[in-house]
Amino acid sequence: MDVARTEENIRLPDEVAQEVAEGRLQTEQMVLNVGPQHPATHGVFRLLATIDGEVLVDAEPVIGYMHRGYEKLVEARDYRQITNLVSRMDWLSGINNEMPLALAVETLMELEVPPRAQYLRVVLLEMNRILNHLMFFASFAAELGAITPTFYAFREREDIQAAMEMATGGRMHFGYMRPGGLKEDVPKGFFDQALFGVRQVMDRIDDYYNLIIGNEIYKQRTIGVGVLDKELAYNYGVSGPIARGSNIDFDVRKDEPYLAYADFDFEVPVGLNGDCFDRFWVLLHEVYESARIVEQAIEGMPSGPILGKVPRVIQAPEGEVYVRCENPLGELGMYLVSDGDRRPYRLKIRTPSYNNVSVLPVVLRNTFVSDMIAILGSFFFVLGDIDR
Amino acid sequence: MPVTERVVGQQALDRVTAELGSLVGDARVNFDQIDVTCTPGNLVEVVAKLREAAGIEARFFTFLSAVDRTAFGGEERPDTERGTPLEVLVHLYSPDHATHINIHVPVDQADPRCPSITSVFGGALWAERECAEMFGIDFTDHPNLTNLYLPEDFEGNPLRKAFKLPTRMVKPWPGAKDPEEAAGGGRG
Amino acid sequence: MFELNLSDWQILLVKLGLVLAIVPAITLVAGYAEHKVMAHLQHRLGPMYPGGFHGWATLLADGLKFIYKEDIIPAAADRKVFSLAPLAIFVPTVLTVLVLPLDETLVVEELDLGLFYLLAVSSISTIGMLMAGWSSSNKYALIGALRAAAQLIAYELPIVLSAAVAAMLAGTLSLNGIVEAQEWPFVLWPPGIGLIAFLVFFGAGVAELTRPPFDMPVAESEIITGAFTEYSGMRFIFSTFFPEVANMVIISGVATTLFLGGYQPIVPLGFLDAVPGLVWFTLKTAFMVFMLLWIRPTFPRLREDQLQKFAWKFLIPTSLVLILAAGAWVLYAPEGLK
Repeated sequence: MDVARTEENIRLPDEVAQEVAEGRLQTEQMVLNVGPQHPATHGVFRLLATIDGEVLVDAEPVIGYMHRGYEKLVEARDYRQITNLVSRMDWLSGINNEMPLALAVETLMELEVPPRAQYLRVVLLEMNRILNHLMFFASFAAELGAITPTFYAFREREDIQAAMEMATGGRMHFGYMRPGGLKEDVPKGFFDQALFGVRQVMDRIDDYYNLIIGNEIYKQRTIGVGVLDKELAYNYGVSGPIARGSNIDFDVRKDEPYLAYADFDFEVPVGLNGDCFDRFWVLLHEVYESARIVEQAIEGMPSGPILGKVPRVIQAPEGEVYVRCENPLGELGMYLVSDGDRRPYRLKIRTPSYNNVSVLPVVLRNTFVSDMIAILGSFFFVLGDIDR
Repeated sequence: MPVTERVVGQQALDRVTAELGSLVGDARVNFDQIDVTCTPGNLVEVVAKLREAAGIEARFFTFLSAVDRTAFGGEERPDTERGTPLEVLVHLYSPDHATHINIHVPVDQADPRCPSITSVFGGALWAERECAEMFGIDFTDHPNLTNLYLPEDFEGNPLRKAFKLPTRMVKPWPGAKDPEEAAGGGRG
Repeated sequence: MFELNLSDWQILLVKLGLVLAIVPAITLVAGYAEHKVMAHLQHRLGPMYPGGFHGWATLLADGLKFIYKEDIIPAAADRKVFSLAPLAIFVPTVLTVLVLPLDETLVVEELDLGLFYLLAVSSISTIGMLMAGWSSSNKYALIGALRAAAQLIAYELPIVLSAAVAAMLAGTLSLNGIVEAQEWPFVLWPPGIGLIAFLVFFGAGVAELTRPPFDMPVAESEIITGAFTEYSGMRFIFSTFFPEVANMVIISGVATTLFLGGYQPIVPLGFLDAVPGLVWFTLKTAFMVFMLLWIRPTFPRLREDQLQKFAWKFLIPTSLVLILAAGAWVLYAPEGLK
């Protein structure tokens, strides 16, 4: 599955930029408005790009077209309602968004979560991660001009999606987490469907490799393109597959195991150079690791209740805590300040896409227009997650 | 490189206080994370030191935001234990030691000012713009302190407690169980 | 028996009418094939409903839809140039069909300079792309048009040079002559030269069609169909879908004519001569079209500079060497081998 990498593949657009800077190449700059409605922006995201021919001189992301003010809205809603609200932040990984909220309330209230609920949570979280990653597998390939992976990915997604639907009744916004456990136990047949779905993904992931990662044109388009420096990633708080692509071994599931993650055997794939190729490579490997976790969790599934001893009205006691989870796109953290009410006093939501995208102006400088699309695609962001 | 040496709780507190000394006021452990309070004047030095100090190396910029505590516990509070009720909150994380550090920076509520930490952490560029429009805090020497989300002509600072959601002012809060709360429109 | 007495210009009119009727028909068939082949390669069914049987009437319905669509011309556009650009792309496409020999006698106009005419006419569409891109007064369209011009010019050369190899081996520029000069096993003889020339022609052909993996001028995920961003309704169809699919068939037809023995039977067995040449020509062309359709869902898109590199640093030098080799073969190969 490994791909040979050579120095020759790495190209320096800076050479072109330097020629322009030294005046050897007389050109005129123009401002290109990429978005808010553009196929490569996955929603209403705008990039003010100053281009010089095909070279991007400067790029400034403009966000906020989908700002819904969640941090204000949650202050007027109780925790049960917020669960359904935060589910809509990153609409590709709904159940992952609900997780840190439940964890934060559990931490403040010192609630015990029964083991079955912990395992079930892991199963659902990881299945959701696979769904999310397959979606980005499809969209990244489509942005590079390969249309077929979309259909392959959606074929596999559908079986996992069916399992999620059996358990939660939803396909995107699940609203299944509760402080202290889960809404209800999973129905009969759920485990079979889930195992079927993830095993199918595990079987077919080699096809994906052959179709995309092994492709010579794909390698030319991605290797050495959009390199994200390790220090830069730390400085901007870049996390998730994008940080791991930049050779940063940073995964909340390993570093600070929450739920039952310490019980499972899984690897954290880490890239080498931080280019588009590595980011995508990490993404595909994570699909495989998540599938392994789901398998292990279902095999070791304990029996018992799915909800701990939870008071009828959930009121977090006075205090504050920062809780974070490994969202499919990176670190999703919630800083909960409670004054003992049924509603949070303040909930700062630290979304992964927000920090990941904020580094774009630096990465995009002196790249080609075509590379810009590849880089945007390889930063795996969801607009709802940036704007909240 | 994953976490090499786990430093949390009291051990982390010792390291942080040893490094920062008198730069910070109150420092304590909260759910294994470190809470420190510092003045706006010291903030840049504090984050720079936390980032570089051996044994801490909080290189990962998690978030920068603010908390308005004026309505904490349902009552008007002119000041809190940390000083003024409005505070800037910076969260740093050390990937090598799994140490979380929350830096609380109380700022003047009438004329909130805080130096920008963008010279240390580039990630604060957007976070400070968001914080500025949402809380009305002026981050001095930020290179481009324009609105990130809100339109330029937006009035008010939405995340301040004094800013009421218009829907809540005319409509009762739908989630209320008690009649008097529903009539009061909640506290949104 | 009745005798038809038609003057020259009447014959020309009839021929033109036929061409104008047949070209869209073939385009529809090829477009439908594209829908279906791509769908099945991607685990889909493709269109299933319009017309009843496997959605055969999809493209008719599509065409109807486009006729009814509003024809929008941007306020800032150069109206005249904007409206003429689709014609400048569409007409050369139709003109290329005129010289393709479908069978020994089945050709609209047999020209002695057939190959020359074909290559000359097919390069006009570059101007149409530039017209569309510039007149739209849209930045994406402008980038697309410049990309298209750069690409079409770069790949025109390998096409001309590799076609020249075929002409040299045949010793004529007449397309009928080239077909007649080829003998079994067509592209494999003379060894190497024919096959490489064919591959160069085919590769450059894909780029000329601006189809994946060489579709940067119209890359929809980057520059939103490039030069045609602002086009809508029938103008859009006549500048994108129609020329693309028609040219796909034509390039396949030209490749068949130049390298695959045109209307000659696939294997030289006596009884196969009874099958009309048109059938062989169609079969070979259909095979080439299928290859083109197969490429599209398989590969990602190259980058503009990589594409130029591929043309100037690989295809053109290769075809120049081929010309030398072909010349040497024609001059010095022993008589028994030719």
